[in-house]
Amino acid sequence: MSRASRREYHQRLKGALDNRFLGQTLARFQGNYRGSREAGFSGMDFPALAAEVGAAKDAAVGQLEELYQQFKAKAEAAGATVHLAHDAAHAREIIAGIAARTGSRRIVKSKSMTSEEIHLNRHLEAQGLQVTETDLGEWIIQLRGEGPSHMVAPAIHLSRSQVAELFTQVTGQEQDPEDIAALVEVARGRLRQAMLEADMGISGANFALASTGSIATVTNEGNARLVTTLPRVHVALVGLEKLVPDLNTALKILRLLPRSATGQLISTYVTWVTGAVECAAAGGRKDLHIVFLDNGRLALSQDPVFSQALRCVRCGSCANVCPIFGKVGGHNYGHVYIGAIGLILTYFYHGLEAAQELVNNCLNCQACKVNCPADIDLPALIKKTAGLVMAEQGRPLKNQLLRRVMTNRPLFHFLLRRAYLAQKPLAGDGRKIRHLPLFFAPDQEFRSLPVVAAEPLRDRWSRLVPPVAEPRLKVALFGGCLVDFVYPEQGEALLELIDGQNIQVDYARDQSCCGLPAAMASEEETAREVARQNLAALNAEHHDYVLTLCASCASHLKNYPKLLAGDPGWAGRAEHLAAKVIDLASFLQKEVGLEPTAAQGKAVAYHAPCHLCRGLGVHEAPKELLRDAGYDYRPYDDEEVCCGFGGSYSLDFPELSAAILERKLGQVAATGADTLVTDCPGCVLQLEGGLDHLGSPIKVRHLAQALAETKKGSEP
Amino acid sequence: MSHNDLRQEFRRQAEAVSAVVTPVADPAEAFARAARLTAEQGGACLAAPGWEADELASLKAACEREGLELITQGLRERAGEFHTGLTRAQWGVAETGTIVVNSASEELRLASMLSEVHVALLTAANLRADLFALEQELNSTLADAPGYLAFISGPSRTGDIELVLTLGAHGPRQLHILLLEEGS
Repeated sequence: MSRASRREYHQRLKGALDNRFLGQTLARFQGNYRGSREAGFSGMDFPALAAEVGAAKDAAVGQLEELYQQFKAKAEAAGATVHLAHDAAHAREIIAGIAARTGSRRIVKSKSMTSEEIHLNRHLEAQGLQVTETDLGEWIIQLRGEGPSHMVAPAIHLSRSQVAELFTQVTGQEQDPEDIAALVEVARGRLRQAMLEADMGISGANFALASTGSIATVTNEGNARLVTTLPRVHVALVGLEKLVPDLNTALKILRLLPRSATGQLISTYVTWVTGAVECAAAGGRKDLHIVFLDNGRLALSQDPVFSQALRCVRCGSCANVCPIFGKVGGHNYGHVYIGAIGLILTYFYHGLEAAQELVNNCLNCQACKVNCPADIDLPALIKKTAGLVMAEQGRPLKNQLLRRVMTNRPLFHFLLRRAYLAQKPLAGDGRKIRHLPLFFAPDQEFRSLPVVAAEPLRDRWSRLVPPVAEPRLKVALFGGCLVDFVYPEQGEALLELIDGQNIQVDYARDQSCCGLPAAMASEEETAREVARQNLAALNAEHHDYVLTLCASCASHLKNYPKLLAGDPGWAGRAEHLAAKVIDLASFLQKEVGLEPTAAQGKAVAYHAPCHLCRGLGVHEAPKELLRDAGYDYRPYDDEEVCCGFGGSYSLDFPELSAAILERKLGQVAATGADTLVTDCPGCVLQLEGGLDHLGSPIKVRHLAQALAETKKGSEP
Repeated sequence: MSHNDLRQEFRRQAEAVSAVVTPVADPAEAFARAARLTAEQGGACLAAPGWEADELASLKAACEREGLELITQGLRERAGEFHTGLTRAQWGVAETGTIVVNSASEELRLASMLSEVHVALLTAANLRADLFALEQELNSTLADAPGYLAFISGPSRTGDIELVLTLGAHGPRQLHILLLEEGS
C-alpha cells in the first residue's frame, strides 16, 4: 500500500467529515431509514426470508451459464437480440455498435449501476452521442459531472440549495430551494421532452427470468417505463448475476428488495418486458437488445468463498446502516458500488488500485450483515478481500509482527507485562494516558487510553477464587486480553456477582488472545493457530459454559467452527466450544438469577456492543438486568450503533473512529445518565477514553461492575 | 383472507401509497367518475385505449356530458394533450395495494405513463392476498410473448432531493383505482 494513496484517502475522509451539510443529511437519511425499514418488515421473519433469498441466489449463481442459454433462447424467440459482453470494454463496444447500426444519436437512460460500472456514458459521449440520464438523482449528478454516492439514492450527498442552484443554471430561471416540488417539475418537463425525442433507451434490470426471457425493472419514478416504451431502440444492460430461473425466485427477492432499499413494501413500478414489444416509433416492433455483462462475474461465481458476493440484489441497505457511510458518504465509501458490498466488488470489478485503501475501512460492526436481504456475510468477505489485496501487495511489517507475536503466547504476554513499565512515564495520574507521543500514534488525541494493569487477572486468580467443593456448575472464564491485562477489575466484579452461588470458575493460564485481531488483519493462519491454542487451554469438554466478559471475544470464539472447518483434528472441538460460549448477561439471567433490587434512581444509559447485539443476538438481557438492579435505564436512538472502536480500526482510521464516537457520546449525554454501561472491554476503552477526553462526568462501567455495585449497595 | 378482508387491506395499502380507491357499482359509473374527475381537474381530453365497443359507447357518452374529447389511439402524437389515461387492471394485490396491468398494447402503456392522472378499473373479484397467490396467472402472462406487464403501486414518486417525497416525478401525478363489485 503506498503511503501517498493512504494519505490521499485520509485527506478525502477528513474533507467529508468537515462537510457539515453532508453529515446532517446522512444522519437524517440513516435515522429515517431505520424507522422505515423496521415498519416495512414488521410481522415478517426477516432472517428466515433473507436466508431463503441467499439460498435461491446461490442456486442461480451456481448455474449462470445454463440460465443464460435458457434466457437467450426464450428472449430471442420473442424477438429480442441477446448479447454477452466479456468485459466492460466489450459491453461499451456492443452498445456503441447498436447505436451506430440503428442510427441512434439521442439516448435516454434509466438508472443502471451496471452502466456506471462500465463507465458507459463517457464512452457514448466520446462517440458524439447525446446521453441523458432520466432518473432525477442520476440527472442531477450527470449535470454536475459526478458519480452516484448511493446505489438507490444517487444524489443523497446534495442539498436542496445545491440542486436549486444547478437547476437555475440549467433553466436560466431562478429556482427556489425550498420548493422541492417545483425542482422536480423542472426535471419532469425537461426529461419528458428528451424521452419523446430519443432514438434509443438504455435501462438496467433487476431480474432476468430464464423461464420466459423477461427482464424486470423496479423503480419509483416511472422513467424506466418511458425509457423502455418511447424510443424505437431499447438496450438493457444486465449483470449476469441478475439471472434467476423463474418468477418465483424473482418474487422472493422482490418481497425483500424495496423493503430493504427504502422500507417501501413494493416500489411504485415493477415492469416486465418480454421480447420485442409493440412500438409505433420503430414501425411496429421494438428493436430490443439485451446485453449481459460478465466482467469477472463468471469467474467469481466459481469461487467457493466470493461467489456469495453475487447474491447482492443492489438494495443499498449495507450503506444505509453503515456508521462509516453515515459519516463520509458514498463518494468516499465506494468506487462505483457503494457501501459494504462496494468494498468487495471494487476489487473484483475495478482492480487493486481502486480497492486498496477502501477495503480496510470496515469496523466489522456487523450492521450490514444482519440487514442484508441476501444474507451475505459482508464483513467476513471484506476481510477476505483485504487478504487478497495484502497478498498482491506484500504483507505490511505490522502484519508480520502480529503473526510472530500472537502465535507465541508467552512472548505476547511478556510484551504486555513490559508495556506496564514502558507506559509509566506517560500515565499522568496513573489511570489514563492522555497524551501519546505523536510519532507513536498520530490523530489519537480524541480519547485517552487506559494503562496496562500492574497485576493481570491471571496473576490475581488463585488469590481471588477459593475452590468450590461440589459445584453445581463448572465455568471456564475466557478473559481476553483487555480484561486480563487492562481491566482485571471487571473480572473481579464477576466473581462478586456469583459469590456464594456454588459455581466453580476456572481461569486457564494457557489461554491467549481470542485471535480476532489477527482475523481483522486478514491473518487467517495466525487466527487459526491461536484458536487451536485456546481450544487446548480452555478444555470446554469439561465445563458447562465458556463465559466471557468481552462480546467480541465471545462472538469470535463462536466463529471457531467456521475458522477451523477444514481442520479435522480441531473442527469437532471447535463446535463443542462454540456451543458452550455465553455472554455475561445471558449467563446471569439463565443461571444466577440476581435478586431484583429496589429502585435507587441512578440513571444509566447502555451501549450495545456490536458483537453482542448483532454477533450473538443478545438485545434485551443486559437492559433487563440493569432495570432489575434498580437502575433508571435511559434509552437513546443509536444504542445499537457501533462506538467506533473496532479494535485496530481506531488506530488505522482515527478520524472516523472519533467522529462515530462523538455522535454516540452526544446522544448518551442527552439522556441525562450519570453512567454508561456496556459489556465489552473494547467498548469500555473507547467510550471511557472519549468521555475522559471531553472532561465529561459520565462514568463508564462494565455490566459486571454496574451489577456488582448495586449488589454491594443492597447488602445490609 | 375473506373477500371483505382482501378489499379492506387492498384499500388500506393502496391509500398508504397515495392511490385513491373508489368503489363503483358498474362500468357506467366508472366511466362517469373518470370523466367527471377529468373535467373537475380542468382536463379537456381523456385517453382510453383497449376498451370494447359497448364500453366505449358508454364512455363516449360520459365524456360528452363533461365536454371532453375521447381518444383511443395515436397517443404518442397527442403526448401532453390528454389529462387522463383510463385503463383496465387485471388483478389487485392486497399486501401492497398494487394493481397488475397487462401493458402489451403500446397505446395502453402511453395512456398510463403520459397522462397526468391514471384511472384504472379493477374488478374486486380479481383481488389476491399477495403476488405469490397470482403466480400462475403472472406466469401465463409472461409466457405470452412479446409482452409488457406492469405492477403499479400508487402514483409516480421520487425522494431524490433530500429524500423529500414528491409525487409525479415522471408518470401520473395521481392514481385512481375504481373498484368494481360485479353483480352488486
